[in-house]
Amino acid sequence: MKKISQFIKKIQIGDLFTIFIFILLTGYLSSILWNFPQGEYLKIHMGKKEIGSFSLNQNMTKVIEGPIGKTEVIIDSGKVRISKSPCTKKYCIHHGWIKKLNQTIVCVPNQISISIIGNQSDYDSLNY
Amino acid sequence: MHFNKLIVLLILLLTGCYQNEIMQKKEYIFGTIVEVTIYGETKDHASDAIELVFKEFRRLHNYLHPWKKSIIQDINQSIKNEKIYTTDDEEILSIIKHNKELESMTSGYFNPAIGNLIKAWGFHRDQNPTDRPNSILIDNLQRNLPHMSEINIHRGYIESKNKNIQLDLGGYAKGYALDQAKKILSENNINNALINIGGNILALGKHGDRNWVVGIQNPRKPNPIGSISLNPGWSIGTSGDYQRYFIVDNQRYSHLIDPNTGYPATNSQSATVLLPPIESSGTLSDVYSKPLFIAPEKLKFSIAKELGIDFYMIVMADGKISISNDMLSVIKWHEKIDEKNITVH
Amino acid sequence: MTHSIIKIINQDHKVAKLAAIAIALSLIEFFLPSPIPGVKPGIANIIILFTIIKFDFVTAVWVSIIRVFIVSIIVGTFLGPTFFLSLSGSIFSLFFLFLFKGINGKYFSVISLSLIAAYAHIIGQLLVVRVWIIPHDGIFYLLPIFMISALFFGLVNGMITRSLLNLKYK
Repeated sequence: MKKISQFIKKIQIGDLFTIFIFILLTGYLSSILWNFPQGEYLKIHMGKKEIGSFSLNQNMTKVIEGPIGKTEVIIDSGKVRISKSPCTKKYCIHHGWIKKLNQTIVCVPNQISISIIGNQSDYDSLNY
Repeated sequence: MHFNKLIVLLILLLTGCYQNEIMQKKEYIFGTIVEVTIYGETKDHASDAIELVFKEFRRLHNYLHPWKKSIIQDINQSIKNEKIYTTDDEEILSIIKHNKELESMTSGYFNPAIGNLIKAWGFHRDQNPTDRPNSILIDNLQRNLPHMSEINIHRGYIESKNKNIQLDLGGYAKGYALDQAKKILSENNINNALINIGGNILALGKHGDRNWVVGIQNPRKPNPIGSISLNPGWSIGTSGDYQRYFIVDNQRYSHLIDPNTGYPATNSQSATVLLPPIESSGTLSDVYSKPLFIAPEKLKFSIAKELGIDFYMIVMADGKISISNDMLSVIKWHEKIDEKNITVH
Repeated sequence: MTHSIIKIINQDHKVAKLAAIAIALSLIEFFLPSPIPGVKPGIANIIILFTIIKFDFVTAVWVSIIRVFIVSIIVGTFLGPTFFLSLSGSIFSLFFLFLFKGINGKYFSVISLSLIAAYAHIIGQLLVVRVWIIPHDGIFYLLPIFMISALFFGLVNGMITRSLLNLKYK
């Protein structure tokens, strides 16, 4: 403990400046990026390929075939999680439920990403 | 140090990911919004092609206009005065011929000869009507209902013995324009585009590595009821009672008039057809939605079968949905649809 | 080693030793569980920073790139998405270290460099993810998590590097 406080005392003025700048940057970007309303649709990608968008307003299970196996996604009226994955570390499963706009779960080994989107980018044109 | 160069390179790298791949133009033609979207072409090439397409749209708008100065108005005038209309315009002759065929194919539910009825209902104006016409006038016009079969096309002239015929290609022109746009874009080597003329949509190619996706309007809410991923070349058309209509005494009167009664059809809120890339599919997606909207509920499905429409969806007057099995397999609902409100055919 | 046919110069020994330590640190990190997905302390960066200050930038580039290749071959991610994430992170990190290595001196220490390297690492990785793996902007939602961890681990790694530099060679 003593050593750490000694250490902090020895921090140079420039380093304090750098730390300050990065704290500001982190705080500023976080406040922008995390201020999201509830999403309406789930968009699933496998690599660059779009698997599709699915309304969050339903209960369904979707299985996506990736390069190393099957990833299972569960939509449960308004929220989404990855329930099964062939990857070794299972980070995507531990990520748990997501429900807000732009929230994303990524499984890098199986190249699956699921993101919550709003209504706007859902279709290219409207038939009426 | 080449610090500045490196920073510029970095910025280019970062912004490169957000490049716009889409070129789009919207304009008000045919009394509605027309929108052309082109994917993945250079800006100059895409905008040149878009200009050519809009030029064609403006030409067709003036050419086929139902109640302003146009060739249709000239023909109507001749028929009314029991005169022969002479012309060497092959295009109009083939359009009228096609309309004759379509009327007989749809058992008269698509009838472009009833301009007088549409006018009597007040739809020959840009604004929606505000009042109901005299029912004696409507009944009288209906009793003397004209048919396209009474128009005779000859080499170089058109004539008819029935002076009640007044052409109104309002249900045909937008679809025809879709096919024309498709032709122009293909001739100009545009392979990926989405054309939307007042809700009638034709997809050319794809949007990158995915299909073009179109939303289908909920007839009673300001949001889509579902969406469809259009395979390359497919087109979609909807007839609805929520664009051109008026309400008197809580009764909705739309521009979709049933030739068999002379009154606007009231059994549906909207009828949507999805067609594969067949000959004149743009035109047909516009035309075919009319009989499905207008015909009585019992006949709708046999008419769809006769016309070879595999993909259709009809929102009935009570909000319940009648949908073909094929359509159900491609539509993605944007709302929770109660299973007991869907009938699958 | 001494009877090797290929002539090994002193420089190679140095690179090999440093790379070996960096690889060992990366492997320890790989097999330890991470509390948050995708977040790693990046302790191998200590060696890269140490190399830049104590030796020179070119040596650090060698150490860094060898580490990325060898580690990915050992853990079996070579030429997979994880490998390119790691490579891109390292390249960006080296690029920014190259730009800013001059500030180390009277006012700034290796702690600043460590923070810069940590943030550059995130940029490099997120760019690859955005361009290659997830072609939409949803991933930027994850950015705050990465930035907070970069702040923490950048600081800690920087402090460790500084004490290493002071301890051994002062």
